[in-house]
Amino acid sequence: MVDLVQLIISGTATGAIYALCALGFTLLWQASGTINFAQGEFVMVPAFLMLFFINTAGLPMWVAFLLTCLVAMVLLGYTFKRAMVDPLIRHGVIPLVIATLGLSIGVKQLVKAGVTAQAQPFNSIFPDGLLSLGALKVSYMDVGTLVLAGLIVISLQTFLNRTVTGRAMQAVAQNTDSARVLGINVARMVLYTFLINAVLSVVAALLVTPTYLAKFDMGESIGLKAFYAAIIGGFNQTRGALLGGVLVGVLENLTGAYISPAYKEGVALMLFLVVIIFKPEGLLGKTEERKV
Amino acid sequence: MTPFLEVKEMRKSYGAINAVDGVTLSVGPGEIVGVIGPNGSGKTTLFNSILGQIKPTGGAVEFCGEDITGMSPLELSRRGVGRTFQTLQVFVKLSVRDNLIASAQEFKGTMPGRLFAKPDAGCGHHADQMIDMFRLQHVAHLPAGNLSYGQQKLIDIAMAFMPAPRLVLLDEPCAGVNPSLVDQLRELLLLLNKSQGGSFVVIEHNMDFIMKLCPHVICMVEGKVLAEGPPSEVQANRQVLEAYLGN
Repeated sequence: MVDLVQLIISGTATGAIYALCALGFTLLWQASGTINFAQGEFVMVPAFLMLFFINTAGLPMWVAFLLTCLVAMVLLGYTFKRAMVDPLIRHGVIPLVIATLGLSIGVKQLVKAGVTAQAQPFNSIFPDGLLSLGALKVSYMDVGTLVLAGLIVISLQTFLNRTVTGRAMQAVAQNTDSARVLGINVARMVLYTFLINAVLSVVAALLVTPTYLAKFDMGESIGLKAFYAAIIGGFNQTRGALLGGVLVGVLENLTGAYISPAYKEGVALMLFLVVIIFKPEGLLGKTEERKV
Repeated sequence: MTPFLEVKEMRKSYGAINAVDGVTLSVGPGEIVGVIGPNGSGKTTLFNSILGQIKPTGGAVEFCGEDITGMSPLELSRRGVGRTFQTLQVFVKLSVRDNLIASAQEFKGTMPGRLFAKPDAGCGHHADQMIDMFRLQHVAHLPAGNLSYGQQKLIDIAMAFMPAPRLVLLDEPCAGVNPSLVDQLRELLLLLNKSQGGSFVVIEHNMDFIMKLCPHVICMVEGKVLAEGPPSEVQANRQVLEAYLGN
């Protein structure tokens, strides 16, 4: 029983990281109809940026994190939106999907050829060791990951639900035409969403890279699982992304422990297929009508 | 009366089809103008052209003496021009009160200020007044998407009036509304016209509603203005009877 609880806690911690990325997927989709298949690379790039600021520029971790957030907002938020999304989104979702797939390949190869093909170690911001709660032993890293991811999610939800700008962003996500007529600056609200996605990616990089190591292809797995998580939970629901992320993380852990580590990587795909077949709108998603 | 809104020779073509074909109309301050006509006569296309939601093929629109042709809905909104749509346009996941606040909040303060503004953006009291006026008190805190079509239609209209616009274009406000609500809706529009002093242009198929609401009516057929004048005159016009109203 203790083993099971420990596995669920560490799975939830891993799932929380997937959830952060999945949250980015759903926010971009709701605000602008964008599906970003380079989401995994949006985690990999900040990992290398932080390493650059720490190892080459000699900056402390927290400064490196803040600087990376700024660079990511410019590069993965503003530039991505202006250079790729804005020109392509008017032609529909498919051209953008293809373009982000190309971006994913391009960024990976650029980092592989221009930076390094070797996996780079990345220190965790949490101490090593185990926290003992009676018979239960949980790593500080898992606890820290859960707390930090939880704080980020709560802050984001508070921002969206309790601030004027957050309400405007929700309005844009729910009905762009109406928001525009009511004087809401739709372009600016969509930009905010891209900036938030960039920051979520940096946080995900901070949490996941100590385990995955900074490598040009580290985004493949996390990007794919975040996409599955978003679909599983419901692409049009931010709460769905959180549920999907945690579900994938926990089931992966349990499968790895009780069935076989070989099947661990396939769990998210299996769950994704089951949801797509039996509840295509996702576990918490709602059926949407769209103009055609 | 000095025109408040002036549409001059407005044209919108889709290939060989002239959806709006040289429409000229003017609306005075505080005036309520009705637009009638059969389906496909270009009424909504005219609205969309005036409001910058589609680019007109030709013609011009002036609002308070300023050329607003081709301006974006955002720019027009800043100038006090609002609209409602034929279909429901409420924010389904926001509460009724939040829908109303969202529709007025952008007119308060600056962009950085709004990042840290109070959640009601200073519009809470006005939203409560509108909720009372539209008799939506009992559902004020429910998500708009959970309400009936008629209630959502009322929210839709209340949202358009939240920023106290100087000109509102209402596209079929009675469509899908329970007949018992139609009279209430007309009274509300008259009350808002009196209290806020704005001008309205109303597209509607409910002839009783439009004849009692609008002192001036325009009938459009095949993208052109077929007749205009007081409701009784338009209603009695032979061409209007043949093309739209029947005998």
